[in-house]
Amino acid sequence: MTIPAETAAAPADAVRFEHVGLTLGENRILDDVCARVPRGKFTAIVGPNGAGKTTLTLAVLGQIKHTGRILFPGLDEAGRRPRFGFVPQRLVFDRDIPMTVMDYLLSGLQRMPLFLGHSKRHAERIMQYLDEVECTRLADHAFGALSGGEIQRVLLAQAMLQEPDILILDEPTSGVDFKGGQICCELLRRVREKRGFTQIMISHDLATVTAHADHVICLNHTVFGEGEPRVALTHQVLSETFGLHLGLPDLHGIPQDVRECPEDCPLRAEHLHLHDHCHIDGAAHGCACGHDHAHDHGTEAGHAE
Amino acid sequence: MLNEIVLRLSDLAATLFPLDCMEPEFMRRAMLGLLLIAPLAALSGVQVVNSRMSFFSDAIGHSAFAGVALGLILSLPPEFTMPALALAIGLLIMYLRRGSRLSTDTVIGIIFSAVVAFGLAIVSRNREASRGVNMFLYGDILTIGDNEIALLACLLVAFLTFQFFAWNRMLHISVNEQIAGVHRIKVSVYQYLFAALLSLVVILCVRAVGVLLVTAILIVPAATARNLARNSRQLFFLSLVFSYVSCAGGLLVSAQQWANVPAGAAIVLLACAMFAVSFVAARLKSK
Repeated sequence: MTIPAETAAAPADAVRFEHVGLTLGENRILDDVCARVPRGKFTAIVGPNGAGKTTLTLAVLGQIKHTGRILFPGLDEAGRRPRFGFVPQRLVFDRDIPMTVMDYLLSGLQRMPLFLGHSKRHAERIMQYLDEVECTRLADHAFGALSGGEIQRVLLAQAMLQEPDILILDEPTSGVDFKGGQICCELLRRVREKRGFTQIMISHDLATVTAHADHVICLNHTVFGEGEPRVALTHQVLSETFGLHLGLPDLHGIPQDVRECPEDCPLRAEHLHLHDHCHIDGAAHGCACGHDHAHDHGTEAGHAE
Repeated sequence: MLNEIVLRLSDLAATLFPLDCMEPEFMRRAMLGLLLIAPLAALSGVQVVNSRMSFFSDAIGHSAFAGVALGLILSLPPEFTMPALALAIGLLIMYLRRGSRLSTDTVIGIIFSAVVAFGLAIVSRNREASRGVNMFLYGDILTIGDNEIALLACLLVAFLTFQFFAWNRMLHISVNEQIAGVHRIKVSVYQYLFAALLSLVVILCVRAVGVLLVTAILIVPAATARNLARNSRQLFFLSLVFSYVSCAGGLLVSAQQWANVPAGAAIVLLACAMFAVSFVAARLKSK
């Protein structure tokens, strides 16, 4: 795969993947990954389970060895690594450790040992960030007693306390209900606009990605497409990424208008069905029904998964 | 000189407990040793429980035999070979745990069996040494020497210094290593330092309560504190309190005519009794 032409515009990118590869044992996890992450924007990484999405983010974080190069334009020249904020998929931890939310957040920041007390300066800063994720009331709660959604918010506050250049979230909304996911994306957008970091989020939820992301990378060991979600998430890219072409007839084979389909066409029923449900960039596939498919894109794209 | 200092300090320790049973010098000395051991055991215990390392400390404790065996082979005093071997094994386990894809349990299990087998093989060939094995199995705080007390005091200084700088970060790491690493905490440095200090703490505590009970004096006071503490600060202080009460109380109980039990057993029984009470109290409170 060649590097897309727009990567030449370096300063606009926060991260650039150049031929990134990674093999674990006999498994080729990442193969010649080339992609870009625009600065200050929300980039989503989508792909099926086991596609190497988490591995790719670990490579960005410098937690795992890989071949090829991961560049941070602007920072590499200054000889500095970006500051990262990180929110894992699901925090599995010992919920019986006696500590409050404030204890946990302070434990990563404060020098003075917690048994001597809390540093006022750091505690005030933490309250500010907890306020941004609407969790100030949780500060003195036991960290182990929080719900999954509350923990994700606290971890988000913690990641932002790092004042990151790049915030990486690994499926932060898995295990959180749909509304929680929407709120999470809204919240992230607000904070991102205020603080101006670059956001990379792994997601399996194409509807959320289409509605909120500025840039999407379709990954299944290698990159099958990237760009603005409404443009990049074509049926072909999605089939290649998710491997759905095995089970579905080729959309390009659908007649321009089902009415053109002869009465005795054995596939007529299927064509009609597909026509009703094909909301994935219908116009791009030459659908002639006059219905604005792009309009449906955001709400129905998840359908393709 | 050292003898003088230890004598003074043990008198000081005895004044805290103005009881008849504290008259003999060996009791004062034992009390001093336990007052040094209590904070070491309590604080390392907190982190052992948080990081689920009790099997690790068990393995280190059991390396005592191998340490003695190594002393026999190299004609070196066991006071030196035991801590040295414990340190080496602690660091080796941490290295394998971090670097290989084997599970921690498997890594420790293999090393555990290797050192125990090695120790037994060598020690049983030597009549004199095999008689001393009892001392390691059950511990004997009453015969603790000046050198050991000095060693404990040095270790306590190093350990408290470590805790001062690492308490927060160790807590952070025990919740999630990956987040800690990404957020620029040097996870491996803290883990290796802790493994080294923990190995020394465990091997010196073997002297007090023996191989069989050494893990107990680390984790029981910490687990008791966890039942009652609501934040990190309370956890720190409560674990110290429970550790001091069980160490000092255990020694005093063991010295009573009616009890007539070894100090190590009394210490652990007292600690476990406190755990049981705290467990019930925590249950009642949560209802």
